[in-house]
Amino acid sequence: MAPPWLDVLDETIGACVTHRRPDLEARLREKRAQQMDPKLRVLVIGETKQGKSQLVNALINAPVCAVGDDVTTTVPTFVQHSETPSAALVRNASSRSKIMNAPTERVAVPIEQVTKQVSTTHSGELVRAEIGIPRALLTSGLVLIDTPGVGDTRSAHTASTFATMMQADAVLMVSDATGELTATELALLKQIMSACPNVTVVVTKIDLVPHWRTVVERNRSHLARAGIPAKLLPVSATLRLRAAKTNDQVLNTESGFPELLACLQRDIVASADLLARRAVSVVASSAISQLVTPLREELTAHDSRQTEATISTLQEAQRRVDELRRRSARWQNVLNDEMADLISDVEYDLRDRTRKILREVDRTFDDADPAHGWEQFEQWLEDNLNEAATTNFAWLMERADWVAEKVAKNFPVYREDILPGSVLPEDLLDPVGKLEKPKIEPFTITQKLFTGLRGSYGGVLMFGLVTSLAGMPLINVVSLGAGALFGGKTIKDEADTRLKRRQAAAKAAAQKHVDDFFMKFSKDIRDAGRHIQRSLRNHFATLAEELQETLLESARSAKRAVQDDASQREQRQREARRELDKLVTLYKRVQALGGTAAMELSA
Amino acid sequence: MTLDHAVWSMLQEALAIYRDSPRASSWLRSHAERFTEPVRVAVAGVQGIGKSTAVNALIGDAFSPLPEFTWYRNGSTAAAQVVCGPRASEVPVTRRGSRVTVDIGQWDKIDRVVVDWPSRSLRDVVLIDTPASATPEQIFGDADAVLYLMRHLRDNDLQFLRSAHDHPIARVAAVNTVGVLARADEIGGGRIDALSSAKQISRRLRRDVQVQPLCQNVVQLAGLIAVAARTLREDEFVALRALASLGREELEDYLLSADRFVGPSFPVDLEASARQGLLDRFGLFGVRLCCALIRQGFDTTVKLTGQLVQRSGLGELRDSIAIHFVERREVLKARTALLGLDVVLRMEPRPAAFRLMADLERAVASAHDFRELRLVAALQGGRTKLPTELEAEAMRLIGAEGTTSLARLGFDYDAPADEQREVLLDALARWQGQASDPHLAHDHRRAAQIVVRSCEGMLTHLG
Repeated sequence: MAPPWLDVLDETIGACVTHRRPDLEARLREKRAQQMDPKLRVLVIGETKQGKSQLVNALINAPVCAVGDDVTTTVPTFVQHSETPSAALVRNASSRSKIMNAPTERVAVPIEQVTKQVSTTHSGELVRAEIGIPRALLTSGLVLIDTPGVGDTRSAHTASTFATMMQADAVLMVSDATGELTATELALLKQIMSACPNVTVVVTKIDLVPHWRTVVERNRSHLARAGIPAKLLPVSATLRLRAAKTNDQVLNTESGFPELLACLQRDIVASADLLARRAVSVVASSAISQLVTPLREELTAHDSRQTEATISTLQEAQRRVDELRRRSARWQNVLNDEMADLISDVEYDLRDRTRKILREVDRTFDDADPAHGWEQFEQWLEDNLNEAATTNFAWLMERADWVAEKVAKNFPVYREDILPGSVLPEDLLDPVGKLEKPKIEPFTITQKLFTGLRGSYGGVLMFGLVTSLAGMPLINVVSLGAGALFGGKTIKDEADTRLKRRQAAAKAAAQKHVDDFFMKFSKDIRDAGRHIQRSLRNHFATLAEELQETLLESARSAKRAVQDDASQREQRQREARRELDKLVTLYKRVQALGGTAAMELSA
Repeated sequence: MTLDHAVWSMLQEALAIYRDSPRASSWLRSHAERFTEPVRVAVAGVQGIGKSTAVNALIGDAFSPLPEFTWYRNGSTAAAQVVCGPRASEVPVTRRGSRVTVDIGQWDKIDRVVVDWPSRSLRDVVLIDTPASATPEQIFGDADAVLYLMRHLRDNDLQFLRSAHDHPIARVAAVNTVGVLARADEIGGGRIDALSSAKQISRRLRRDVQVQPLCQNVVQLAGLIAVAARTLREDEFVALRALASLGREELEDYLLSADRFVGPSFPVDLEASARQGLLDRFGLFGVRLCCALIRQGFDTTVKLTGQLVQRSGLGELRDSIAIHFVERREVLKARTALLGLDVVLRMEPRPAAFRLMADLERAVASAHDFRELRLVAALQGGRTKLPTELEAEAMRLIGAEGTTSLARLGFDYDAPADEQREVLLDALARWQGQASDPHLAHDHRRAAQIVVRSCEGMLTHLG
């Protein structure tokens, strides 16, 4: 069934065609294509072992996400609609030694084996798993994303997880009924709320806990106290899966899933519909007002029959076109300047952050021996780089919004749809390759022996010669003692040199890795910046063009009004009035679509 | 001179030096008192993890949890007092059914509640139940050793454990923490094999490189079941047996969820309130487990209790406390006393105490017990490397698996002294060889020297 907004949008497009406004028509068609293929990302997040994967499994009634007693999910799993069940693993093509723009490969696997493959494949190689499954729930474009637990010490926290979170349309936060919401969970919720306000807290495992109702109540008050307006739903995946097996409707109701599904349908899918309607309503009403303006002007021109006034209107229109051209230059300058500033600031910030990390690395390896504890160091470096990247990226997005606002302020007129919706590129931030372990040469016994002998040789000879003057043989107690001393010293020196060499190698490896990271990430950031700039420019340029076209059309019709003779005038006037009535009705429908009270149509 | 003698004489000396400072001397006196007490074991963890349940399981009685630091120590009669600064006032202890309640009344500020309780389990330890709001400093300040309860290893848990090892003296003897994987019965949604899963997870955590240097051991505990087993009542057992008399398939639907179990329609003649009581005491998993066990033939109270205690992990937890805390009492006490002494010497430095400071440094650096512990940590953390088979033997000999001579020599039965001596002399000779072999790496030989010293110590004890 076509949604109601589609008819209205199509009619508006038709009106644009009749009024010969191809620019408006193209814009509306673009919007239409955008709204026809919605992808709704629903992120399932929470701390470890709360039952996130089991929740996804129970939602779609199929064991597609790996569940286990110990920490199981280490990579995100995307579950979406497809006609036939299918599964694929996305992983880095060559697991090691590649750094820049690591190409990822998709490997199709049988859907029965995907959970096993996910849990057995080494997590460093795997980026994500993708599942396609025919389910009524998913047909509306819903994508369920199962994520590794937050706060787990083993899963890779990558910047891409963060990026996914920023782009989610809705979030299911999972917390089990065996405990109330903790301070960390509340902090996480707050963080999510700032990125995506559509959050539902799902309390799982209610089958296991006798007093789950108390827990739910207390969670509600925790949320209220923290000022988080999230809905809270208790469910039990165990009951739901069993109900599906035995086809038991009562049990299914007890599991709480019908309510969760209804909530998903009603709130998330429906809110997506509402969002679509609002977006369509804003675009369509702005298009219609532009169509109406020239008609109105023509009518007033006829009504007043005052040629002088008409001429002054004409002049006014001309003046406004000129004004628009002049001011166009201003907003373009603002956009260019601000974006250039932004990119250089963000890059400087990133450089500053990586430099701080590098300085810390240098300090560490001035004393520490990289032969010990390299894994911990690797983890530390990875964590710090990720943190730098995410903070930096969040900053970029914040500033981008700010730039959009500033440009909008410098735009000649104000309109409802002046601020662009999303300026973010789709896929950002692939993970950087692994840190290469520097070559660590052990100082073996034989090497030590050899080095010692080499060192002792000089000592024996030197002192042997001296003592031989005193009539002793070349090899004697003194020369041997000296030899041993020299040998010992050489071994110690050699060990020190090796340690120095190891430290230098470790520093170089870390430096290289951070450089690679910086190269890759600054490229990403710059690309994102350029993408943002381009979409902002396109957005505002289209707005400006439309404005200009509307003004020109007014000018033209005013000119026509001056030139036309009386009889033609009569007819045109009738036509114009009819057209205007049609447009006004359409406008009212558009306004009703957006759910706002029908506003007076102003010219 | 053994470590505890050395520390004791240092404490006495400090008392003499600081007798004119009331603050320092009261601090030192409390430490001297503490030195002769049993080991204080605090049970710590986040809100609602089951700290009080774990304490109850260890004591064997169901105390109602209090929102304060609660100390449980052995006493001839049941008594309780609220300690608040220098004052202590008696409060009543009452038993209602299987539940014991300490009525602390209304207070503005309470330092701790001290409960004297006649129990065999409290003979060698003082258990401290901590409130969830307690900071690591408070917990490690009061206790000689800590049981840290966690559900799965999260970043927060690691942070807590690391904060215990900030002090330099604490770091040389990182011996006072055992991790407990709490609420083991809730793993995997309370499946019937949850406890064996929990066992595997705790085994993995025990080998985890991040956990090893922080915890001496990780064990699992299903606290609810352990408490229920130790305080099982006859009426509960009858009810459970009535449940188990029903077939597995018939009962399965009613054991699906807690709501179903207490619902109005139920195939067995059991009051809803009785079922609710069972659920509160055992948890849903506990009821499932009990039914399965009774069907398997553990159909007397004694047999059932034995099985439940064993499966809940309480046995392993008690063993861990015995091996890691009670047997190491001297070291733990010395460690606490040295930490306390260090505070005084730093806060109020004075010329007369310089020699004491040097003594303290020497004790920390050279006491053989600490050396053993440092070697255990070094071997576990991979800072010192020994060949695999030697490493296992070294760990055993220096007391990583228990400090009695039987545990050190790897006997699993009570071997007579000459048999022990034979094995010991054999080990001693082997390790002396390692210690003097010039081909071996320096740290290898150092490790061997420490093992030799441990063997020699055992030899003098065996006589």
